[in-house]
Amino acid sequence: MLAGLGAAFAKDLRLLARDRVGLVFLTLAPIVVITVAGLSLANLYGATPHGASAPVLPVVDDDGDWIGRAVRERLVDERSVRARTVATPAEASALVRAGAASAALVIPRGTSAAVVAGQPGALELLTDPVRTVDVAWVRALAQEVRHALESAALERAQQELDAARGDADDARARLAAATTELRTRIATLHDRVAAASARAETARRELAGAVAERQAAARTRIVAELAPLRSFLAELAAARAAFDRWAADVRERAGRFADRFPPPPEPPAVPPEVAALAASDPATLAARLVPADGGLPPLPAFPSFEVPAVPSLALPAPPAGRLPGSLAIVETSVTGAPLRFNTFDQNVPGFSVTFLLLGVLLGVSLGLLDERDWGTLERMRATPTPLSVLLIAKLAARFAVGIVQMLLLFVVGWAVFGVSLGPEPWALALPTAGIVFAGTAFGLVVAGTTRSREAVLPIGSIAILTMAAVGGCWWPLDLEPEWMRRAALAFPTTWAMQAYNDLMIRRQTSGAVLQETAVLFAYGALYLAVGLFLFRRVRASRR
Amino acid sequence: MTPLIAVDGLVKRYGPHVALAGVSFAVEPGEIVGLLGPNGAGKSTTLGVLATLLAFDAGSVVVGGHALPDAGAAARAVLGLVPQQIAVYPTLSAHENLRYFARVLGLRGEDATRRIADVLDVVGLAPRADEPVLRLSGGMRRRLNLACGIVHDPRVVLLDEPVVGVDPQSRERVFEAIETLARGGAAVLYSTHQMDEAERLCARVVLLDHGRVVASGAPATLVAGAGMTPVVRLRTARPLPTTWLDGIPGTRIADVAGVETAVAVADAASVPAVLAAALATGIDVLDMTLHRPSLADAFFALTGRALRDDDGPGAAP
Repeated sequence: MLAGLGAAFAKDLRLLARDRVGLVFLTLAPIVVITVAGLSLANLYGATPHGASAPVLPVVDDDGDWIGRAVRERLVDERSVRARTVATPAEASALVRAGAASAALVIPRGTSAAVVAGQPGALELLTDPVRTVDVAWVRALAQEVRHALESAALERAQQELDAARGDADDARARLAAATTELRTRIATLHDRVAAASARAETARRELAGAVAERQAAARTRIVAELAPLRSFLAELAAARAAFDRWAADVRERAGRFADRFPPPPEPPAVPPEVAALAASDPATLAARLVPADGGLPPLPAFPSFEVPAVPSLALPAPPAGRLPGSLAIVETSVTGAPLRFNTFDQNVPGFSVTFLLLGVLLGVSLGLLDERDWGTLERMRATPTPLSVLLIAKLAARFAVGIVQMLLLFVVGWAVFGVSLGPEPWALALPTAGIVFAGTAFGLVVAGTTRSREAVLPIGSIAILTMAAVGGCWWPLDLEPEWMRRAALAFPTTWAMQAYNDLMIRRQTSGAVLQETAVLFAYGALYLAVGLFLFRRVRASRR
Repeated sequence: MTPLIAVDGLVKRYGPHVALAGVSFAVEPGEIVGLLGPNGAGKSTTLGVLATLLAFDAGSVVVGGHALPDAGAAARAVLGLVPQQIAVYPTLSAHENLRYFARVLGLRGEDATRRIADVLDVVGLAPRADEPVLRLSGGMRRRLNLACGIVHDPRVVLLDEPVVGVDPQSRERVFEAIETLARGGAAVLYSTHQMDEAERLCARVVLLDHGRVVASGAPATLVAGAGMTPVVRLRTARPLPTTWLDGIPGTRIADVAGVETAVAVADAASVPAVLAAALATGIDVLDMTLHRPSLADAFFALTGRALRDDDGPGAAP
């Protein structure tokens, strides 16, 4: 039986090897479709790894200032778009209208100045909304750029505010130091003034003493000096009175002749000052001669002043408030997948699975129909080798071919498109074996439900294309509505793509795909049981 | 001698339709038995039952000493089926086809290699053994079809019209190969509706019609049993006189239609005398043919149907 199995297995491989169309279908066709689809759908994932498929983004820098520079510099390294500087908004708009770009970015004149001045600024997007995906991507990118600029501006403003606050703190410290020094100096001045005041008081007292001494000495001396004067004047007055009494006595005695007497000569009059001097009080005179201030200009009283106290400086601390922080969106891949991944990481397994299913499903079903049409199947039933062995051999051959096909496509994907094979490339064999098994067994189901090649092609194609499309082989499963995603669980393709995404995109290890692999094998076992049942029923109906 | 094929009272129904209604025959080792009948007579159904491809409803069938259906697997080990359809892989070479069938038929290693070489020689395909079947002529494919059925040197060989559409050279090679098998002790059941093939190859034939055996035996016996004699057909320039055949023993006028005259003769030895009598009338003989009675004639005589009737009520689905 094993020999028969081996012979049938080898025969099926030989049949496939002679089928050039089939070989092209299994290898070249998927590579072509993967390439075309990968490049066509690249923008769903932010363009190809090298950015060759990225949409053109015309950029108009009317600003010419730091915002314009920052935007252009940011876009230079962005692989999801190909930024092209154009001169005017009109030119950019024309490119969008002509379909050369889905959107254009305009940095209006004065944007930087407005923002610096605290005025609102705006980045303008000129879009063709019909090109939804590209526009959404550019819009998101513009938001990202805007957010980056705002964050940078906020950060810069915060730095400036922090610097100003530092300067204020320094000034405050310096003022406090100066105040302290002022207080010190005022205190010193106060001490000095007090000392000076004390010295002045002492000097005044010494001066008053000296004046009093001098006044006493002057009085003494004046008294002494005025005594002869006073004696003379007294004698003079007495002499004058005596003369007057004589003259009066003469005249009285001259009687009528008294008129004839010439007036006696007048003795010189005592100058009033002399008289006043002689009559003045020596103390007064001494006080007049020796003023109490010693003859010096009167010393002003040392002003009594209070050295004003330097008020304590209760300088308010610089405001502690900060600029509102920027609300960043920090995206963290919690599944291990890179935030932007190679579009072919999705397309290589997706279209490989599609063509795998086409290969194994049509290969099994059409292979069995070929055997029926050639008469070999009927002939084999008359041999000692059980038909089940032949079926198993055919399924095994297709399984082996499917494995090799997937291996080849993954290698091509890795070598040509740079797809990730995950941390454990060997783990790709798990879902691959599962989906190849399920697809191969499903081929038996199709063979059991169809009677002709004409029936296999539409039924098989509809089944495969539905499973591939709904199962996320052509586009991410997340693009589908929730109900369809739930429905997709009924298809092995869904589980296969989940496993491939886990391994290739989310970079998980083999343990993460054991469940998907088990489900795939369960589907395969179910299909195999149903297929064998249908096949036997068909055979029985012909007996 | 125990027959390698023994069919007794075989009944096969397809729903309400009775394809085989109690067919019985046997094939001894070394014997080539023809299974004859028009399309739908039940030949392919009989072969299908013998090849274990079809279940049957009643009767007993023994193949190579193994009673069907219980010993089907054992029976398959000793039989070789050569279907009417050329059932080989068209993109594989003759050698690859033979190797594949040799292995699924139980041959291994050197044994398989030797048998493949032998059978390629027998059917005359050794020079083209490595060419894809697609490049071979129809006759070569027929021979390969036969080779694939006999590569394991089976004790029972079931042949279903194996030389349909085959050129005379290939047909003769096929016949030689079949005779070789029979000489080796195989029991050969040869299904055909070509009487000449059966007459050429088969020591015995079984005539089937409407799922029943209408006659069986050696071809000559069957023809003789049907009371048929050779017929000489003459076409003359003018109609022959009515008495022109008088006096020639063992002959009689079978039919006259203007210048066409059919003369029944007891045996071929009377033909020169018939010709001489016709010439003796002075009328030119434009054409003369001798028609020996065949199995087809016998079948027609027995059933009223021609062997090439295709739409008989007994046609298998």
